Amino acid sequence: MTAALQLSGLRKSFGKTEIIRGVDLSIGRGERHAVIGPNGAGKSTLFNLITGRFPQSAGTITLHGEDLAGKAPFEINRMGLSRSFQITNIFPKMTVFENVRCSLLWSMGYRYNFWSMVGRSRALTEGAEQILEQINLTARRDLPAGVLSYAEQRALEIGITIAGGADVIMLDEPTAGMSHSETDYIVDLIRKVTTGKTLVMVEHDMGVVFGLADQISVLVYGEIIATGTPEAVRANPKVQEAYLGAALEDH
Amino acid sequence: MTDQLTTDPTKPAQRMRAGSMVLPLTPWVIAAIALLILPFIFTANSAITIMNQMAITIIFALAYNMLLGQGGMLSFGHAVYAGVGGFACMHIINNDAFFSNLPLPLLPIFGGLFGMGLAMIVGSFSTRKAGTVFAMISLGVGELIAACSVIIVAFFGGEEGISGDRTYGLPFLGVEFLQQIEVYYLIAVWLMVSAALMYLYSRTPLGRMANAVRDNPERAEFLGYSARWVRFYSFVASGFFAGIAGALFAINYEILTEENLNTTQSGIILLVTFLGGVGFFFGPILGAIVFTLVQTVLSLQTELWGFYLGIVFVVTVMFFPGGLAGLIMMHVPAKRLGKLGRLGLPYLKTLGAGALGCLGAAALIEMVFHVRHASVGDHEITVYWTTFDTHGVLPWVLAIGATVIGFGLARATAPGLVAAWNDANTPDGAAR
Repeated sequence: MTAALQLSGLRKSFGKTEIIRGVDLSIGRGERHAVIGPNGAGKSTLFNLITGRFPQSAGTITLHGEDLAGKAPFEINRMGLSRSFQITNIFPKMTVFENVRCSLLWSMGYRYNFWSMVGRSRALTEGAEQILEQINLTARRDLPAGVLSYAEQRALEIGITIAGGADVIMLDEPTAGMSHSETDYIVDLIRKVTTGKTLVMVEHDMGVVFGLADQISVLVYGEIIATGTPEAVRANPKVQEAYLGAALEDH
Repeated sequence: MTDQLTTDPTKPAQRMRAGSMVLPLTPWVIAAIALLILPFIFTANSAITIMNQMAITIIFALAYNMLLGQGGMLSFGHAVYAGVGGFACMHIINNDAFFSNLPLPLLPIFGGLFGMGLAMIVGSFSTRKAGTVFAMISLGVGELIAACSVIIVAFFGGEEGISGDRTYGLPFLGVEFLQQIEVYYLIAVWLMVSAALMYLYSRTPLGRMANAVRDNPERAEFLGYSARWVRFYSFVASGFFAGIAGALFAINYEILTEENLNTTQSGIILLVTFLGGVGFFFGPILGAIVFTLVQTVLSLQTELWGFYLGIVFVVTVMFFPGGLAGLIMMHVPAKRLGKLGRLGLPYLKTLGAGALGCLGAAALIEMVFHVRHASVGDHEITVYWTTFDTHGVLPWVLAIGATVIGFGLARATAPGLVAAWNDANTPDGAAR
């Protein structure tokens, strides 16, 4: 079985600075994979490379065995990969319902359709209602997304990310800036909505990482120094030295 | 997973469907009836001319708002799509062999197709990016095509433009469109059809994604849509309806010149749309009605109408970015709370005083203009149906007094209005 996502020899330089310095990583189908590492390790850059926001300098990225080189974000999305953003990235002036409905359009085959009324499609409306139910925002459906609370906006963003039915979900710091109770809520939500899908996430909160991930990769200065189960990574002396020591003591 | 996905289909989904299946027909019916009976109320030829111009401007402004309001694209050169559509129609009108077999009411379709064709060519490179890049390309292309009017004389007719006679078309149900009123109904039908189509367009997947791309192009890309193609389709659709507006202009005025293409015209449509409000579908309609009235009625009263319009535009941009439509819709929450009535008196006080100030200021401006520019010995001016001598002291005292007192009172009563506004927008018994 091919891996859901396979990175080999991946490199990225901005000018003379090499941010990603040869990453090899294989993420299996249905795996929940967390990428951790200190600030500036290149986690977000790695995300942006995979999702086609930046072109890589060298190496290959394959999604379900297909090379992603030169693909635009929308093409990668159509191949079944969807992502959220570190900074909340929704459609603030549109209603919550509209946000979710828009994220269903492509996957429901509407493409650039300008002859059917979105309001008349029962499948669209029900699909969007289901997503809203899953992310517990049904009560907010007619509000402009921009007025939701921060945690609700994050939940909405996760809803938008999963709505298109992508099987590889990438979440960039889904709990950044949240209180403890909000974090617990989002973690439960993520677990619920990504069942049966491949999850790749960048996260700072070790509680979230160890609670959610089956596999952890530690990225330090653009290189992966360890990959394995949470226990193995926790026990790895290299990891402890480079990064985790302090963080683990806190927990 | 599966049982999470199977929600009770009876409740929220059903309520929602019921809501969205019913198209809001009432405003459309009212609009249609209004269009039907307006010529019976305003029977003068000049009134019908104004209404024709209004309807054409409405179509053009709605088309423009497909870009600005719906798609987030600021175009400084949109007149060229209307203009080229109009010029193309003028050539069709002048092509006797073809035109004598074409009923005039179908002509706007050709205008639309030509506008759309040009939009496809320009859009293929201008819609790659929104924002400044798009705005600059639109300005450049607008200038370029306006400059072509003196270069490609065969198509644009040089400085005198192209004129023709609409009555040579195939009579349509016996109507030859000799009369202004016949043209009025032709334009009115096209207004209803175009407005309805543009409204429906905004409800399609592509129309919805135009909003999404406007709000957040990057996120839209991660939903599987190419922001560039979504913009392109909006641009092409907008070009089509602009072309229809151009064709109706050709039918109504039977002449097109460089003025239909140039940046002034493009600027006017931006102004009209913004004045009306880009955030709501009906905004540009309001803008077009108000603008046309100002342009035609006020311009008969004063040479300085453009000056006043400029002030109104600047005030709108600075204080009411939602335009007229935004101003109206601001009152919906208060109406829902049933407290709209409480705003009446405060409004009367502040706006009444403000109006007095505006009238005073306008009188001052007119008098200054008259003193500076009237021919020597002409001391008589007529402002507000009163004729007086601008070199006397009393008119100046009155005008300055009205301005100062009016604006002073408006300022003094403004806090009361703000308080009333806050009160009207707070549910009774709320903690605030």
